[in-house]
Amino acid sequence: MSDHITKGILYGLGLVGVTAGALLGVTTLLSMNHPPIVSVQRGFRGTAMDQLYTPKALSDSAAIQAKIPHSLPPASAAGVKASVAYKNVHVLGNLSVGQFTRLMVSITNWVAPKQGCAYCHNVANMADDGNYTKVVARRMLQMTQNINGNWQSHVQNVGVTCYTCHGGNPVPKNIWFSNPATQATMGVAETTTGMAHPTQLINYSSLPYDPFTPFLEHDYKIRVQGENALPVSNDSSIKETEWTYSLMIHFSQSLGVNCTYCHNTRDFGNWADSSPARVNAWYGIRMVRDINNNYMDTLNGVFPGYRKGAAGDSPKVYCATCHQGVYKPLYGVSMLKGFTTELSGPPSTTAAYKEPPGLPTGAIATAYDATPLSPLSPPGTPTPSAPSIGSAPPATPK
Amino acid sequence: MAEYQNIFTRIQVRGPIYAGTPLEGNAAYGRGGVPTFNHLFGRLGDAQVGPIYLGTIGLAALICGFVAFEIIGLNMWASVGWDPVQFVRQLPWLALEPPAPSYGLHFPPLAQGGWWLMAGFFLTVSIMLWWIRIYRRARALGLGTHTAWAFAAAIWLYLVLGFIRPLLMGSWAEAVPFGIFPHLDWTAAFSLRYGNLFYNPFHMLSIVFLYGSTLLFAMHAATILATSRFGAERELEQISDRGTAFERGGLFWRWTMGFCASAESIHRWAWWFAVLCPLTGGIGILLTGTVVDNWYLWGTHHGLVPSYPQTWGTVVDPATLPGAPK
Amino acid sequence: MAMLSFEGKYRVRGGTLVGGDLFDFWVGPFYVGFFGVTTIFFSLLGTALILYGAALGHVWNIWRINIAPPDISYGLGFAPIKDGGLWQAITICAIGAFSSWALRQVEISRKLGMGYHVPFAFSVAIFAYVALVVIRPVLMGAWGYGFPYGILSHLDWVSNTGYQYLHFHYNPAHMLAVSFFFTTTLALSLHGSLVLSAANPGPGEMMKTAEHENTFFRDIIGYSIGTLGIHRLGLFLALSAGFWSAVCIIISGPFWTAGWPAWWGWWLNLPIWK
Repeated sequence: MSDHITKGILYGLGLVGVTAGALLGVTTLLSMNHPPIVSVQRGFRGTAMDQLYTPKALSDSAAIQAKIPHSLPPASAAGVKASVAYKNVHVLGNLSVGQFTRLMVSITNWVAPKQGCAYCHNVANMADDGNYTKVVARRMLQMTQNINGNWQSHVQNVGVTCYTCHGGNPVPKNIWFSNPATQATMGVAETTTGMAHPTQLINYSSLPYDPFTPFLEHDYKIRVQGENALPVSNDSSIKETEWTYSLMIHFSQSLGVNCTYCHNTRDFGNWADSSPARVNAWYGIRMVRDINNNYMDTLNGVFPGYRKGAAGDSPKVYCATCHQGVYKPLYGVSMLKGFTTELSGPPSTTAAYKEPPGLPTGAIATAYDATPLSPLSPPGTPTPSAPSIGSAPPATPK
Repeated sequence: MAEYQNIFTRIQVRGPIYAGTPLEGNAAYGRGGVPTFNHLFGRLGDAQVGPIYLGTIGLAALICGFVAFEIIGLNMWASVGWDPVQFVRQLPWLALEPPAPSYGLHFPPLAQGGWWLMAGFFLTVSIMLWWIRIYRRARALGLGTHTAWAFAAAIWLYLVLGFIRPLLMGSWAEAVPFGIFPHLDWTAAFSLRYGNLFYNPFHMLSIVFLYGSTLLFAMHAATILATSRFGAERELEQISDRGTAFERGGLFWRWTMGFCASAESIHRWAWWFAVLCPLTGGIGILLTGTVVDNWYLWGTHHGLVPSYPQTWGTVVDPATLPGAPK
Repeated sequence: MAMLSFEGKYRVRGGTLVGGDLFDFWVGPFYVGFFGVTTIFFSLLGTALILYGAALGHVWNIWRINIAPPDISYGLGFAPIKDGGLWQAITICAIGAFSSWALRQVEISRKLGMGYHVPFAFSVAIFAYVALVVIRPVLMGAWGYGFPYGILSHLDWVSNTGYQYLHFHYNPAHMLAVSFFFTTTLALSLHGSLVLSAANPGPGEMMKTAEHENTFFRDIIGYSIGTLGIHRLGLFLALSAGFWSAVCIIISGPFWTAGWPAWWGWWLNLPIWK
């Protein structure tokens, strides 16, 4: 080989290499942070149970607090009741007209500040239920009362208002739909397994991209670690673990924390080694399932098609819906304080109230397979009832 | 002035192409390819590229390997709807996954894990054939078979991960998926599921040998380079006829840490450290889930677990409280 | 005292960096030198402090001994002895001992007329240690970010530090470092086995030559790096593993606080696609 050609190739390669390296370096550097960082130590020294934040991330989050709309001064409970003064009032009938009106104005501020009353109401006939938004709002008032009344195990006495999720938007910024691609066929090639495609929801990892359907709508078990050193009672598979892991990554992102916020990772399952926040999260999961099954899914017949997911399912909530990247929604500011009469629980209805129709039959497909690993029980024992959705015929792609 | 450290060759000497020590009775395919000199390679090591011995077994190994590669790659491509742009974009995330747990050890349909099984089969056959190749090429040159047996340790780990352990657990689903990030997800999930693999004593041993191998290669390679001015890299000659190179190298370590290896024995240290890494690692994987379900809890029974003062009050599992939601 | 058969002619004076002839002698097979003295000093002191720490914790089970760094709240100052100060003192002793060891290796190399490759390589390992207990904590503003000294407790630290970034396997420098570790082990097994296979060819065979070694690798993969090249390659692989390990932990925290999978967003969101 001629020396000149070799030299030429070498120089060419060097040039390409240096340029590529420089581009890569610049891209990498631009996407990264720099010291100083802010940190919170949450465990014994040396265990590395720390939360880390950049000053910029903290100030971005603090802006959330700045945006909270001021609450109107409270109205008197005296005077005519709303159920007497207005027609078709099912949930808020016990409020005075003053309280009722104040709440309506507040809801407009919280949910549809630009759209105004007409977003829900037929302004020619305020009692009319023609707009789906009004039917949804009614159910959501019950939902809010349910959260504040029955789920103090999670929301404590901070509570929630419409603003917690909606944040000034008719549709909350962080909602989810079931992903129908989780069982799509690809001709003769491998049917999609519900993982291995990066999405921002799961931190751009290749873990399952819809852990919400099995865990936050259905109630598949999340725990995968055994409580014995020996294999006597735990039959979870590695695949199930990946789904749980994916859900946990969502938790972390939604709250702007890392795994050590709740766990000492040397022993994830052990409650004695965990922080109190983990207990709070446990109730949070049950609360979210309650919201999704008994409120969001029951509205399925009410939502128009353009508000539903590709699989025809209702919009649903998860941690990010309220938390929006912060460990306590709105940094723990309690907007409920000014609305305890109106929005504290338990949920109320009149006798005439009829719950919306609900979810159409047929479970949303998920690639989650809960088949136990191997029969740990002696022969003859009834097998667990967890259905193996993975072996069901794949849903036809839309 | 800075001293030359013998990292890159400054002047390359070219002799005739070396065709290789004679093979007895060349097989039909035998040695082939036109050997060339590569200047870049020559700056670090030997400049000659080729000839290669293809051989029947080698060819079969390559074909099986290629089949496995294609099965994996084409399935990955299909998973992005055959979009070439998305294929490149998502490639590190794409996977060919083993079957779902519901299939146990049965042969699943092609699209439900059958492709994975097939790819795994062809890859395993390819690796086994390659092992036979390594063994036979050594014997054909009159060499010992140490390389083949070192390779066997790695194959042990590979088989444990993809075949033996899934067999014992009764489920192909336990095996490792094909894919760059997906196999890392599997690794993390494995440790999560089985109670923190750091507490697995065979995992500890395997890491000792992994880091130990790195330490040893750094020590050995640096010693050779430091004494290369005396011809230390001619290790076979130094074995049979010790010269000042290995005398100095040996004394370096004797004076540093009180003992040293010899020209031959350092390679025995090297061989064992490197081989014990996958050997103990495979044992650790095999014991996980079959004999031990939670390594941290196993550690508490065997006096491994350090205790830390409590930071919070007592935290109780809410599922155990009376009246707890499901 | 106990010398190898050929050792006598190599035991000459000279090569010292510090102290001239004062410490230029051997104790048994060990060379002393000025840095041998400092090594002994730091090692004994550090070990004594570790034993003191074990006593403080009333833990003598070797797996469970734990000497923890200070709370983050102490920042970069000195902490009380029983609240992390012990850890700080032990760290100083460790750095002193490791550096002394490396410098002693330099003196021995000089005496034997060798290159400095061994202390250079060891310095990369020392750099990795210093990155973990000095560089990264300084960048993050507190000594408390160092890892605790304890066999299992340091693994608990690794676990929690890793999960601070949700999925540490996605750290690109970590991926590089791990690849280098495994490749080093592979290359070591190949090199060890190759030399042994030529020196131990099996019953009845003559010992083989470097030409056989080259031919074996050319036969199986078409290329043989050669006797000198394998050592250059091995050193490069091993030092790269240590280097990129240090990089991967320095960037975690000071230069990245989110989950490591999210770092790959720059690739996924390149303007040329999606």
